[in-house]
Amino acid sequence: MRDQDRALSIAEKALRFADAEQAQVTVNFNQQSYARYARNYVTQNLTSDQTTITLTYYAGKQNGTTTTDDSSDDGLRRLAAAARAIAQRVPPDDDFVSLPKPAPTAQAGRAYYESTAGATAADRVEKLLPVFATMKKNGLSCAGYTTTQINTTAIANSLGIRAAFTGTVGGLELKAMAPNTSGYGEYFGPDYAELDAAAIAERAAAKALVSNAPADLAPGVYPVVLEANAFADALSAILTGINAFNVLDDKDSWMIDRIGKPIFSPNLTIVDDWSDPLFANPPFDPGDGAPTQRVTLIDRGVPKGYVSGTYLANKFKIPNTGHSFNFPINAVVKPGTKSHDELVASIDRGILISRTWYSRVVDPRQATITGLTRDGVYLIEGGKLTKTLKNFRYFTSMLEALKDVELGSRQVLTGPGEIGIPIVVPDAKIARFNLSAQTSFA
Amino acid sequence: METQHAAQAARILDTAVQRGAEYADVQFWSIRQEQMNVRNAQVQNVTDAASLGYAVRALVDGSWGFYGSDRFDAASLDRAASEAVATARSGAKVADRIPAVKPTEKITASFETPMTIDPASVSLSDRASELLAAEKAAHVGKSVVSAFAFYSIWTTGKEFYSTNGSSIAQRIVQAGAGCGATAVGKDGDAQTRGGPGDFGLFQGGGYEVIRRAKLLENAPEYGREAIILADAPATPSGTTDLILDGSVLNLQMHESIGHPLELDRALGWEANYSGISWATPDRVGSLRYGSDLLNIYADNALPLGFATVGYDDEGVAPQRVTLIENGVLRAFLSSRDTAAQTSLPQTASVRAADWASVPMVRMTNIVLAPHEGTLESIIADTKDGLYVAGIRSWSIDDHRLNFQFGPQIGYEIKHGKRGRLLKQPTYTGITPRFWGSLDRVAGPSEFVVWGTPNCGKGEPSQAGRTTHACTVARFRGVKVGVKTNA
Repeated sequence: MRDQDRALSIAEKALRFADAEQAQVTVNFNQQSYARYARNYVTQNLTSDQTTITLTYYAGKQNGTTTTDDSSDDGLRRLAAAARAIAQRVPPDDDFVSLPKPAPTAQAGRAYYESTAGATAADRVEKLLPVFATMKKNGLSCAGYTTTQINTTAIANSLGIRAAFTGTVGGLELKAMAPNTSGYGEYFGPDYAELDAAAIAERAAAKALVSNAPADLAPGVYPVVLEANAFADALSAILTGINAFNVLDDKDSWMIDRIGKPIFSPNLTIVDDWSDPLFANPPFDPGDGAPTQRVTLIDRGVPKGYVSGTYLANKFKIPNTGHSFNFPINAVVKPGTKSHDELVASIDRGILISRTWYSRVVDPRQATITGLTRDGVYLIEGGKLTKTLKNFRYFTSMLEALKDVELGSRQVLTGPGEIGIPIVVPDAKIARFNLSAQTSFA
Repeated sequence: METQHAAQAARILDTAVQRGAEYADVQFWSIRQEQMNVRNAQVQNVTDAASLGYAVRALVDGSWGFYGSDRFDAASLDRAASEAVATARSGAKVADRIPAVKPTEKITASFETPMTIDPASVSLSDRASELLAAEKAAHVGKSVVSAFAFYSIWTTGKEFYSTNGSSIAQRIVQAGAGCGATAVGKDGDAQTRGGPGDFGLFQGGGYEVIRRAKLLENAPEYGREAIILADAPATPSGTTDLILDGSVLNLQMHESIGHPLELDRALGWEANYSGISWATPDRVGSLRYGSDLLNIYADNALPLGFATVGYDDEGVAPQRVTLIENGVLRAFLSSRDTAAQTSLPQTASVRAADWASVPMVRMTNIVLAPHEGTLESIIADTKDGLYVAGIRSWSIDDHRLNFQFGPQIGYEIKHGKRGRLLKQPTYTGITPRFWGSLDRVAGPSEFVVWGTPNCGKGEPSQAGRTTHACTVARFRGVKVGVKTNA
């Protein structure tokens, strides 16, 4: 890949200019294009093309980090000199041991698609025209965006790490709005050609039109089906605590004293696996180039392990799983056996939740989370959707909620969401989910 | 102020016009962010990040196109202009759109953030010493398992040029600092207390902002409170009078006033991501947002404002606008295009996070006008209530109505005096009912210009710097100590 070679070449040159005891250079090329729309037309239409070069210089345990977008020789020399100057002036970080050393790293799968990389502004708008047509046909308004992105990361360090990766991302988020209700659909993947915007528009429109008068329902504990996007959001209470920083350093994770204990439903298995076919992720830590290990986080209901990066792995003398961002950035929730419709059909009286919003962890030790539903909440009666409901606030410990969970058979790759990290996840049926208040709107 | 990019701007604007733009502007950004983090006596991250790039906007047939780049060779300048025009043209293909407004202003001006201590005058070793001392001071007991201290400084140079002949140069300096401690109690519960504000004081200005955060002075108290919190009883569930410290009140303003009064949100432009607004433009002048004590204004030129600029990122001069007067909605925060879709005034509230980000409506600096009294006088005037400070979680729905906040710390109030210290003092409410229950707003002596550095908005998400200046306020009959049922 030409971009990878160019990025690595810049990284190696900067490394030479640094001439440090230890040093690391990361080069990112990001071209991001978005056609953002509302009220059935494009409101923001943009591309940004950005180079980011970051150099960390180590003088023993002292370190300094500098960033630039200037890849000229003079720019890289200044970058290295500035990092060196910082490192020589600040006190040491005694917890720092070493940058990662080279280690065998798997080959990345296919992550680059010309259909995505070559998409123009006109191509993106072309994808949206059938969306707008579907909305108008149904008397609806819509909001969302479509995006194409090319992202290259190259990492070189003074101990010999050389890693590079280029991936493409194509996506669509679509909220279809009737006067009193809404429906949601999305697609994310590396191949923009796979995006069937018209089909997503039809489904989102149908969800918005289930009924035009959202009903009240008393707050309480209900069986729910969380569609994949909503389940991913709720799982953030679990995923944010499943790393060495929160478990060992900050001591503020639900995992403390629970590893090895069967605290969840045996239906729940979560792994961190960059090679999952739905991902187009690098096989190395995008923070420092160390190889990313496959980690079993929860195995049939039993918390097994957490992710770690080089810094904390060295500090606590634990295995380095290649997760310096202190988050399982390749999380995969294993599927169950039932289809979406079968999960719904298995509920006599409950609620289907399409999407959630503003989820925040209230108590990390209990994985307690609160947030709001949005864009499609439906009453299930006798295994069928019977009414659109007004939205709810949920407030629950996910440790409790996941004691009785059944997973759908179809996994999807979610969008970045509020956390900013896509995960692979199916729909989920949760037997007891606390909806603490109802809003006045759908 | 000296400018550096006039020739490059001329080339870009000429190219855009040649390609068919009715109007174009370009803003060059020189961004520097300095950061230092100390944790458990270790200086863990010292960064100095610089970026130089430019953002081209082109208008074609009432449709905007945007292209941001950090490449400065002639071919890249031409490409940026051409792509901005092509992007604008692609959006113009959509039927039934509301056309954007062609700017007409021609402004030549400059602006620099006032500051008293140039960050360059404080050495890295002195900065590290200040953070290390504060962090150490937070370790006031064995149950403090970790402590932290940090600062951030942003220095942003902007040069704005337009095909109308505008030329605006700005140098904006913003800074912030905070510290805190985490303690673990006898039952293993971990509680963190930090500040000032929601983990830091962020304002416009130089190194004096970091000194104004008084980290060394505040750190021992944060440590002591963290220790007590870790073994403190949880806040009992119930309905009580709630006094919000400025460190909570400012975020309450941010979420339930600032965001709902962004006009692009009210018009549905943000519907897919951060939602819409329960307040709508047609209710300006009639919507009762809160009690008579609720007086909110936006001031883009607010002294110490974290979002204070000379001109917004569309090249419009700052204004002071009354948003809510005696509890009644009076205006929205707007851009040129959103204002044109209503009969409301344009308020110069457009900001971009950086050169790679498209400018859009932001809440900038909003202010809750002070009234009378002090925190202590309000506490003395409260028979039975709860005083809360600091923030650990916050959540609000996509209409900005139903919220649940989780402050760091609560103080029981009995007969006008502070009582027990309580953990998890969550509270919940509905925006107009909550602001309608506002019955005390402290006077100017409690006034603090609070900023936040990470307000997420837009797709792709942009981290904005906003201000919500306020004193201390009391609300009657608020539901607190919200529990899960699961």
